[in-house]
Amino acid sequence: MYNSVTPEIVDELIEIVGSKNVIYDNKEALEAYSHDEVAEKSYAHMPEVVVKPSTAEEISKIMKLANKYLIPVTPRGAGSGLSGGAVPVEGGIVVSVEKMNKILEIDKKNLMVVVEPGVVTNEINNLIKDDGLFYAGYPMSVETCYIGGNVAENAGGGRAVKYGVTGRYIYGLDVVTPTGEILHLGGKRMKDVTGYDLIHLMVGSEGTLGIFTKIYIKLMPLPQAKVDLLVLFKDIDTAIKIVPDIMTFGRIIPTSIEFMDDLSFKTSCKYLNEKIPFEEAGAMLLIELDGNSKVELEEQYEVIGNLCMENGAIEVYIADNATTSERIWKIRRNIAEAWKQYSPDQSLEDVVVPISEIPKFMEKVRKISEKYDVPIPCYGHAGDGNIHATPVKNPKFTMEEWLDILHNKLLPDLYREVINLGGTISGEHGIGHKRREYMSMAIEPAQLEVMRAIKRALDPNNVLNPGKLV
Amino acid sequence: MKIVVPIKQVPETSNVKMNPETGTMVREGVESIINPLDLYAIETAIRLKEQFGGKIIAISMGPGSALEAIKEAVAMGCDDGVLLSDGKFAGSDTWATSYVLANGIKKLGEYDIVICGERATDGDTAQVGPGIASFLDLPLSTFTSEILSVKDGRIKVKRLVEGGYEEIEMTLPATMTVVKEISDPRLPTLRGKLKAKKIEIPVWGLQHIAVKEENVGLKGSPTRVVKIFTPKVARQGEKIAVRDEETLNEAVDKIMDFLIKKEFI
Repeated sequence: MYNSVTPEIVDELIEIVGSKNVIYDNKEALEAYSHDEVAEKSYAHMPEVVVKPSTAEEISKIMKLANKYLIPVTPRGAGSGLSGGAVPVEGGIVVSVEKMNKILEIDKKNLMVVVEPGVVTNEINNLIKDDGLFYAGYPMSVETCYIGGNVAENAGGGRAVKYGVTGRYIYGLDVVTPTGEILHLGGKRMKDVTGYDLIHLMVGSEGTLGIFTKIYIKLMPLPQAKVDLLVLFKDIDTAIKIVPDIMTFGRIIPTSIEFMDDLSFKTSCKYLNEKIPFEEAGAMLLIELDGNSKVELEEQYEVIGNLCMENGAIEVYIADNATTSERIWKIRRNIAEAWKQYSPDQSLEDVVVPISEIPKFMEKVRKISEKYDVPIPCYGHAGDGNIHATPVKNPKFTMEEWLDILHNKLLPDLYREVINLGGTISGEHGIGHKRREYMSMAIEPAQLEVMRAIKRALDPNNVLNPGKLV
Repeated sequence: MKIVVPIKQVPETSNVKMNPETGTMVREGVESIINPLDLYAIETAIRLKEQFGGKIIAISMGPGSALEAIKEAVAMGCDDGVLLSDGKFAGSDTWATSYVLANGIKKLGEYDIVICGERATDGDTAQVGPGIASFLDLPLSTFTSEILSVKDGRIKVKRLVEGGYEEIEMTLPATMTVVKEISDPRLPTLRGKLKAKKIEIPVWGLQHIAVKEENVGLKGSPTRVVKIFTPKVARQGEKIAVRDEETLNEAVDKIMDFLIKKEFI
């Protein structure tokens, strides 16, 4: 139904963005834009042409051209996504925002930064930390990902327990719509109920409803101290029971409460040659606290630490300096890498269940794991009920067998259990085209139809990021 | 067994920035930690104590903030600590530091073994451990990688030397500096942290230990820093690209020719 990109169309694109900002007829260069961080190659697809605009006006012209010739357009940030959102599944044009990487304004009086979408997320924090400020969005890929992609995916990550996810900090967006209109939504206003909340319709729209060209981000005062607790528990039940207690009995909201099951931390600890007595444990929690003084945090970690010890923890380790903190976080961060030694073929899932259902969910995962003889290490954000259940290919399967088991049996089973427990199939990585076929499991037909109606209203020709989400 | 572990508080250097003009570290806003290589000395001490019983005392010379490093050592498992702190100690080089630490250790009374880290990650000299041994007139094993036995007033250790290992036996009391492979340092536990919080660490100044004022601080230090610079690595190399079997063989031939010409083989 779409048309191919002809040399004539490429000429028109060159006219819009200049020849040095167009990649065409260069397989090697185009390949880099054919995939994101999803490991499975079957999710990649080559673009026909890549353009790198610098302004909203250029993007608007590209969208008008795409509508005129019926060419699909896929917006792209850093390509660090985990659901294939930036993959041009229908070919056509990839609009990369890599040239739009300026921090336009740091407004200390209003605690706001205004940035272009191609700014690396971490760069924002590097630039404002000396002013005692920070942006609290924290996807784990913070050193590579672009802020535009974070907004498009409504990225979550490690600090959501206390700080929420990306959308909470987005107060304004300039957006080019699929038909090429330029919208200026919101701004530096703390409150705004004038009309539908289009900003948060755009946040998390996975590049299907518009391309962001300017982003207004709310900043927070930067905490001056942090401390990490690594808590070893004999089993998952005991570990998860503590999570609400930290907030209700302890009256403390940690920045993160990360969970690791034994499959996860044992593999990671062995990989790192870590010598803490992990063999005795059945589950671990990694709890991070931040605040303005070490004394304040000392009181807090004592409360949480004692709570854990009184409720069946095997051991509580305290890391309040760079050496020990790095050592603790390494265990969490190296799980995926450690499992790559077993098999590089993994499906990094990010299902969500109510926190209290995590133990039940883990039981179900074990059953699914046994049924298909596929290891499924589980780790992730216990404080949000967001679990990275990660089926890893058992080397005894051929690639064909593995993909069949994964897509047609294992994932549907996993998602069904998640939904039965009151959860959903993605908490932060998004649907993209990786999980699109499972959308109807998680979203009722009437809701899906509302989403599709919105998509049709904004993108009548379905040219912006087709094949994704809805 | 009474064990003394001299430790140093250093700036956390994994994210350190250098001032290109002065060649010195930018210390502003940099967190202070226990010298990472001292953690292996602490761990070695704890394991000896676990095996033979006794007491471990962490000792440090430094500003008041070094109390935190000593408390962290207590949190890991040391029993006690002492901070040697005095404005007059400031600017001490490795000679004067060894002198102060040795006299601090003397004041602790009887001890069996002094265990130091290999070197500090900020000064990188590896001189203070041997310096302490010299001032205390004790036998010394540097680069110790394993403790083989402790009995009858003697300690047998394995030490790392160029191209291999050496086993030596020393009479106790003795001094040693240890390398990473001797042990894996443990993490501080909540129990340890709570213990460290309560403990009172004595602070000893010039008047508390038997040192002469003219031998400490900048005045007492024979070392003069003339210039600080980052040394250039002078190794030369050549990369040979290998694309296929043919170029691989060519590359191997080329390397062989070079080695024969240089009389390495």
